[in-house]
Amino acid sequence: MTGTTTAPTGPPTTSVSRTPRQIWRRVQGLLLAVLVLVVAGITLAAVNSDGGHGRLDPRSTDPYGSRAVAELLKDRGVPVDVVTTLDDATGAAGPDTTLLVAGPNVLTPYQRLRLREATDGSTGRTVLLAPGAPAVDLLAPTANAARSVPVAARPAVCDLPAARSAGTADMGGIRYSTDVREATSCYPHDGLPSLLVLPGHGTGDTVLLGSPDILYNDRLDQQGNASLALQLLGSRPHLVWYLPSLTDPSATEGGPAGEDGDDSSDEGVEGESGFIGLIPSGWLWGTLQLALAAVLAAIWRARRLGPLVTERLPVAIRASESTEGRARLYRKANARDRAAATLRSATRVRIAPLLGVSPRDAESPEVLLPALSARLTTPAGDLTALLFGRAPADDAALVRLTTQLDALEREVRTS
Amino acid sequence: MTLTGRTALLAALGSLPVGILVPGWIGMLAVNVPLALAILCDYALAAPVRTLQFTRSGDTSVRLGETAAVQLTVTNPSGRPLRAHVRDAWPPSSWTTDAERAAARHACTVPAGERRRLTTLVRPARRGDRRAERVTVRSFGPLGLAARQGNHHVPWTVRVLPPFTSRKHLPSRLARLRELDGRTSVLTRGEGTEFDSLRAYVPGDDTRSIDWRATARQSTVAVRTWRPERDRHILLVIDTGRTSAGRVGDVPRLDAAMDAALLLTALATRAGDRVNLLAYDRKIRTQVRGRAAGGDVLSTVVGALAPLEPELVETDARGLSKAALASAPHRSLIVLFTGLDAAPIEEGLLPVLPQLTKRHTVLVAAVADPHVETMTHARGSVDAVYDAAAGTQTQAQRRGTADQLRRHGVVVVDAAPADLAPAVADAYLALKAAGRL
Repeated sequence: MTGTTTAPTGPPTTSVSRTPRQIWRRVQGLLLAVLVLVVAGITLAAVNSDGGHGRLDPRSTDPYGSRAVAELLKDRGVPVDVVTTLDDATGAAGPDTTLLVAGPNVLTPYQRLRLREATDGSTGRTVLLAPGAPAVDLLAPTANAARSVPVAARPAVCDLPAARSAGTADMGGIRYSTDVREATSCYPHDGLPSLLVLPGHGTGDTVLLGSPDILYNDRLDQQGNASLALQLLGSRPHLVWYLPSLTDPSATEGGPAGEDGDDSSDEGVEGESGFIGLIPSGWLWGTLQLALAAVLAAIWRARRLGPLVTERLPVAIRASESTEGRARLYRKANARDRAAATLRSATRVRIAPLLGVSPRDAESPEVLLPALSARLTTPAGDLTALLFGRAPADDAALVRLTTQLDALEREVRTS
Repeated sequence: MTLTGRTALLAALGSLPVGILVPGWIGMLAVNVPLALAILCDYALAAPVRTLQFTRSGDTSVRLGETAAVQLTVTNPSGRPLRAHVRDAWPPSSWTTDAERAAARHACTVPAGERRRLTTLVRPARRGDRRAERVTVRSFGPLGLAARQGNHHVPWTVRVLPPFTSRKHLPSRLARLRELDGRTSVLTRGEGTEFDSLRAYVPGDDTRSIDWRATARQSTVAVRTWRPERDRHILLVIDTGRTSAGRVGDVPRLDAAMDAALLLTALATRAGDRVNLLAYDRKIRTQVRGRAAGGDVLSTVVGALAPLEPELVETDARGLSKAALASAPHRSLIVLFTGLDAAPIEEGLLPVLPQLTKRHTVLVAAVADPHVETMTHARGSVDAVYDAAAGTQTQAQRRGTADQLRRHGVVVVDAAPADLAPAVADAYLALKAAGRL
């Protein structure tokens, strides 16, 4: 028999929490959106990643890489060593070596100082690619950086053999000036060169290149770029290509206070690490664990036992509010006349039945006043003015009038 | 999922081994990985919340100011014991004090496959229906480190009835009613009375009430007794418009009117009259037909009044009179609980009043504000005198409105909330004695 079988179901569930299936259905869309975002992000990054990545890297074939010039050098018997740490770069500096610093601007002041110490003493060649003013101050103190100009094909206009044989090249960028007589200046614009060769110790020299364009893969075949690059970099039998990197341990040494010289730099180093170094590491780790405990406590306290319950509240209006409002209006308008008239009328209405006067006659002085004077044993001043008089002139008179009306009523009641 | 204080405490204690013995990542991992594992295990071992079954029982109505007990039965069908905190959530006004509110959170343990009963005590601070919102359960694992949390919807309604504080006046009014009743011959024949019975003459009886014909038939002197007419119709009309929302003391005028309506219902039912009820502002809010309600008219009226709330609209007097006429086909006493503010009465009620007074006796009961009365006695400063003037003005206006109504043959009762119920009952008894029903 294949009849329908009903599953043994208990009472219908009263749970209002979402089942895992419902939660899954709800977050599905969200997860999908996140996935799309991530994929789109990765795709975009991949598409746009031609820029700075591998720039001036002798292993990179990107338009802004420099593999072409490295290969050309290798063909001419100049091996290219790529180094990424300062220690390797300074260790390789020697008389037979050209040290190319691809990014002098990203070096820390401490690194620049160490680099200059290393290159000062060597008889090799140091090529700095587009160093800015702070880098020039430390790496080539005899030169000064000036405002940069656009890169364009420029004539050599100098006696440097390499430049003369290369002829026009894509030069420009940062320009330099120097007071050193022996220095050679090429590719000038407005009198300031973008290629400066500073003689150094012995046969050593330092080359400041205003822009690295001549080394790019896609510019190497234009103008005299290749010729200039090969002559500048191939003058020694060995080329060390220094690409500064963030993983270099020397980048974190010295700290930012190293600009003024070795002494102050050393002090700075000690001051920085001293404070942290004085605290036992147990305290630091214990505090970290305590912070974790605080986070757990926050999670514990953050979860309510069920949501807040809302309720429709009843209106709360005092029934006497309009009366109180009227009193405030009287006060604001200084309505002494109205207040006095109301109080007098109320007193007249209250005492009329006591005097045997009908309520209808309570408003007429001709009936009320004689009855009142007949009742009172002691004449209580001017009754006409009290019960039917003018409005009080000031607040004090109003208060006085109220007191007198009360006294009159009391007297009528007790008489 | 949620954590407990114990988890945070353990993590905090973990800072000692981390700080003293093994400072470093190793120590952190050595402390926190076991802790995380323990939390996960605890969560996995906690009794599931979703499969719990709940049923309710207990009180469905309670007088305002009294305590109702609502039972919540938790059944744990899972194979794991339930250690849980259960919050039985009701609207905030279901409790009067914070301590009572806190008592609605229960800590309970239900072994696997068993059930336990939790009792929530509700002492509402306001009249009306209170609906149970939801039941939140936080089920802890065996280590007490983590908990599952979920909600269940277990509906239940407790109807909070008007307090009927004026029932203390009922015995004295019933005694008055018995006096009126024909068991004594004090009441002589008159309009609104009907012949009740003959009984033997007792010295002191009015000789005029001797029935000579009956005396001649019997050997003793017989007197006739009279009693007030029974089976009169009374229609209670409660105006739930904006004027009923104003608070006198801390109680809306509507509640004072209800109190008076309840006393009158109790009294009139005992007197053998039929009581109908109508609550109206722009439409009929509630309606009770005494005859249809069967024996216990009072409890029907109480139940009908309980959920009434004032509406912030101007009462439609024309519609009110039409509805009143529709629900009073016989000659009735119409007791109208409304305000005595000048404008609504003059513009709303007065034009339609003749329709009502043509066939029916109309009694207007209004709640006066004792605060206005105290304002009229304020003296001593300028502000106080202005207060007194404003209060006097209000009272004069009320008196004027009441006089206007009286000129139309309406009986007007204007009393403070505490005195309104007995005053209306007295007016009813007076009308009954005068045979004006």
